[in-house]
Amino acid sequence: MTPKEIIKIAINLVVIYIIGGLILAGVYAKTSPVIYQKNEQEKQEALKKMAPEAEAIDKLGDWFPHEKQAEYYVVKKGGDTTGYIIQTFGKGYSSYINILVATDKDLKIEKIEILSHAETPGLGDEIERPEFKDQFKGKDLEHVRLVKTETTEYIQAITGVTISSRAVTEDGVRRALEFLKGKLQGNNASHEGGSHE
Amino acid sequence: MSEEVIKLPEEKIRYRDLIINGIVAENTIFKLAISLCPAIAVTNSLRNGFLMGIAVLFVQTMVNITVAAFRRFIHPRIRLPIFMLIISGWVSVTDMTMAAFARDAYKQMGLYIQLIVAFASILARAEMFASKNRIAPSMFDGIGMGLGFLFALVVISFFRELLGRGSLWDLQIVPTKPLLIMILPAGGFLAVGILMAFFNWIDARYLKKTKSHH
Repeated sequence: MTPKEIIKIAINLVVIYIIGGLILAGVYAKTSPVIYQKNEQEKQEALKKMAPEAEAIDKLGDWFPHEKQAEYYVVKKGGDTTGYIIQTFGKGYSSYINILVATDKDLKIEKIEILSHAETPGLGDEIERPEFKDQFKGKDLEHVRLVKTETTEYIQAITGVTISSRAVTEDGVRRALEFLKGKLQGNNASHEGGSHE
Repeated sequence: MSEEVIKLPEEKIRYRDLIINGIVAENTIFKLAISLCPAIAVTNSLRNGFLMGIAVLFVQTMVNITVAAFRRFIHPRIRLPIFMLIISGWVSVTDMTMAAFARDAYKQMGLYIQLIVAFASILARAEMFASKNRIAPSMFDGIGMGLGFLFALVVISFFRELLGRGSLWDLQIVPTKPLLIMILPAGGFLAVGILMAFFNWIDARYLKKTKSHH
């Protein structure tokens, strides 16, 4: 190859990549505000669904499971605190599983919802099934534990999906409850110090 | 590139042959045995296999058209990085557009679309066919290869979901999981191997005369 040829090839490559980059930038600029807005909208709807009785869901602050930004909220009805909603991430088999946990005011779980994940299609995504999620209802911190045998006291892992099940149960939900518990105790001690973030 | 319109009737037959070629003689999974990784990874339920097949059909066709359209501007020595740009470009554009404007479809298919970037079959067709042919035949080749891939994935996932979970398209047919191994990765190898043998047996036995050379 002569130097001239090399330069020709380099220019060819650079020009085509710049064109490709510009096209992608254009599409990104057009779509990303729409994506952001729809994500926010879906988050609000998801929160509503987590606490259908609530009259107000106020953000308390942020926390950072796996260095990811997550939010937690207090659920109010008639001026009284009736429960909490906390977002959390569990490290699964191939992704961080984004989970919402709704609790009553004693931190007993009302329900959980899987917001997003990229686990193995057809296997890891069984964590979205109601049979798995419904197990969390009524469980408190002590009982959010994964077991592989049949159980109603703890959380039963999905057959063949142990890693994703554990990610949701222990890495995700339990850590969220632990965090919330610590935070609320801290707040009570310092009399409504809370919601500083 | 509207000057390359199809007119001749004999050429129309060629296009139909291109499509059939992709499904039968050069079926990505059963004959060329490439892109076996997705064929095993996402075929543990019929819905997954089908959605992945549709996503590949679309991206394969668009990539083939793009590569054929720009083939004269691509220096042969740097064709591979440029094919990769075209593939990842189409995948990203599809991904972002669906995320913004087709939320429901995206929730079902988003997972699969991002995976397509790494598919050997797409790059292989860009290299073997689209870079040497005009736009129209490249498009039909893309459709044919895409349909062949879709067909293979649907057949594999049909058996895997039925045997592994006792269900089809998430609809429970028998209340147990007859052969759990079939939805695990090992079952993917078994299913692909057995089906590949089956289709080659049919090919050897009944279709020998119509088999094209490649």
